[in-house]
Amino acid sequence: MLRAAALLAVVSLGTVSVSNETLTVSAAISLTDVMDALGRAYSTAGGGRLKFNFGASNVLARQILSGAPVDVFMSADEAQMDLVADAGMVEVGSRTGLVQNQLAVVTRSDSTAPLPSAAALAGPEIRRIAIGDPAAVPAGVYAKEYLQRIGLWSAVQQKLVPAASVRGALAAVANAAADAGIVYATDVRRTRGVRLAFVVGEADAPRIVYPACVVRTSTRKAAARKFLEFLASANAAQIFREHGFLPVARSR
Amino acid sequence: MIALAFTLTQGSFTLSIDERLTGRITALFGPSGAGKTTTLDAIAGLRTPASGTICIGHRVVFASATRVNVPPYDRHVGYVPQDVALFPHMNVRRNVLFGRRPGQRLELQTVVSMLEIADLLEREVRELSGGERQRVALARALMSSPELLLLDEPLAAVDLERRRRILPYVERVRDELGVPVIYVTHDAEDVRRFADAVIVLEAGRVTRDQEIKRD
Amino acid sequence: MDVWQITAFTIVAALCATALLLAPGLFLAWVLARRRFPGRALLDTVVSLPLVMPPVATGLILLMLLAPRGPIGRLLEPYGMQIVFTWKAVVLAMAVMGLPLFVRAARAGIEQVDSRYEAVAATLGARPFRVFVAVTLPLAAPAVIAGAVLAFARALGEFGATIMIAGSIPGTRTLAVAIYSFSETGRDREAAALLLVSATIAFVALYASNRIATRSGMRA
Repeated sequence: MLRAAALLAVVSLGTVSVSNETLTVSAAISLTDVMDALGRAYSTAGGGRLKFNFGASNVLARQILSGAPVDVFMSADEAQMDLVADAGMVEVGSRTGLVQNQLAVVTRSDSTAPLPSAAALAGPEIRRIAIGDPAAVPAGVYAKEYLQRIGLWSAVQQKLVPAASVRGALAAVANAAADAGIVYATDVRRTRGVRLAFVVGEADAPRIVYPACVVRTSTRKAAARKFLEFLASANAAQIFREHGFLPVARSR
Repeated sequence: MIALAFTLTQGSFTLSIDERLTGRITALFGPSGAGKTTTLDAIAGLRTPASGTICIGHRVVFASATRVNVPPYDRHVGYVPQDVALFPHMNVRRNVLFGRRPGQRLELQTVVSMLEIADLLEREVRELSGGERQRVALARALMSSPELLLLDEPLAAVDLERRRRILPYVERVRDELGVPVIYVTHDAEDVRRFADAVIVLEAGRVTRDQEIKRD
Repeated sequence: MDVWQITAFTIVAALCATALLLAPGLFLAWVLARRRFPGRALLDTVVSLPLVMPPVATGLILLMLLAPRGPIGRLLEPYGMQIVFTWKAVVLAMAVMGLPLFVRAARAGIEQVDSRYEAVAATLGARPFRVFVAVTLPLAAPAVIAGAVLAFARALGEFGATIMIAGSIPGTRTLAVAIYSFSETGRDREAAALLLVSATIAFVALYASNRIATRSGMRA
């Protein structure tokens, strides 16, 4: 009798927070705005409730690996998703590439230094280039890959200013701590103080895909799959495009 | 009757005592460092002897052989330490009533009039003089209805004039409440004036004990 | 984003966390100050760990303990209780990070209470719990209160452990987490507003703590 009373007390305390159909989605921080929009569209379309947990992809991966109760994981790069997959935490067959982003080169809004193409990065007017830290942040890894691909890495390596995040790189450019920066195209629109110099073309750009998956330990897999299907729909594609992301070509 | 038969070691100092106390006021006399306060601490349960027994009346409060060690809060021993130690965050009344057990026979009024502290009750501890503090501490110890009262050099901190005024109170306690008293002093005059028996302690050993006859 | 919701949530969570750590904190402070026992140094070290480890590391340990498959999370799961990614995780992270600060301050306060008072109280028939509540605690009060205010201030600014076990979820974001989120997504103006609020609260809390400490110091 006492046990039942205690059980009742505990249950009523606990179940207020998480109802059965609320999906927990861990998504990379650069997806914040587009995910909010997609979440609203999802519920309008009759989908279930979503709880978003935004963070740096490596932190999100670490949370999942430590057993945090996450249903869907959307990473900013393949490396973090690989970490999760290698630990066996990805639900079989659920990993998909959702959207793509592009790299963009930016300068300060009021800068007069011409920066028509990549070659100018190696020029004398550009003394410092801000990028995300290649050792830690996906954006930095991509920036390095890009520079290597176009053969400018050794030329500009001395000029690079690694920032803790894309935000940091953008701030550096806006504050004139750096003359140029290599960031995501999706970040440019929101940032005051910087202007787009040019978007990195497809030929030179590394493939920046945001992979998503259902987490193997999820207790709401059906609902999770439903959400991923929604993200692949035309409706979602439109919203992604509005925020500067490119839906992935269905080749993966 | 108080039976003390124990050994207590503290660092390089050893206290060894084997005495039966039958007097109503027993003086524990000796130079400083002899172990007098340590003896009181052991009786009160604040320090644990290495071995031996301590009996208060027919209650065994400590017996190393049978692992008996009654904690201080159950020993019914009233203690007025050298530094008096009135609780600074309480006024006199709350200090005195601190050890009072509900339903005990001894009334506050009795103790208050015996020690003449009626007009001190609502005062703060820091406003009291040395002599007043002693009486309040004595009252506090008495209000816990102890079976034995321990006083550590109660007269030492007070000047000569005031000392004469406190004597009657301790004697009153002995006469009206019948509580046996052990008090620590290194003043021979105090011993002569109102102890019934004296135990002389030197360097942790009893060198003399005797009854004091007076008419 | 609602500045006031985030601020109110942060303050309420910090108050809850401070309230939560008081009893265990006082117990630990008393045990460390007044009791000798084997493993005392070890206990002291464990309690101080959140103070010296990177908050993220503390958060990771908490996460592993509280996740549904972890030793503690496993016990709560059958009852439908989840702590990770909820407001409860926020409060817990704050409490864990504030505890060592409180214990240190409270312990120092208890240690400076003359143990003769406690000894006399015991001879007057008070058991250890009553001695603590009626004698030790009132005399150690200024240090204990200052410790609580310090823990509260720490809770307000807590980030590393919070982001690990509570994530960054709209609705249960603290000021610190929200500032990070907004600055990471380019919402600099909102981030600045939150920054201002956060700095003001921290200033007031620390000022209060110092005033209490000074006042009690002067009285002593």
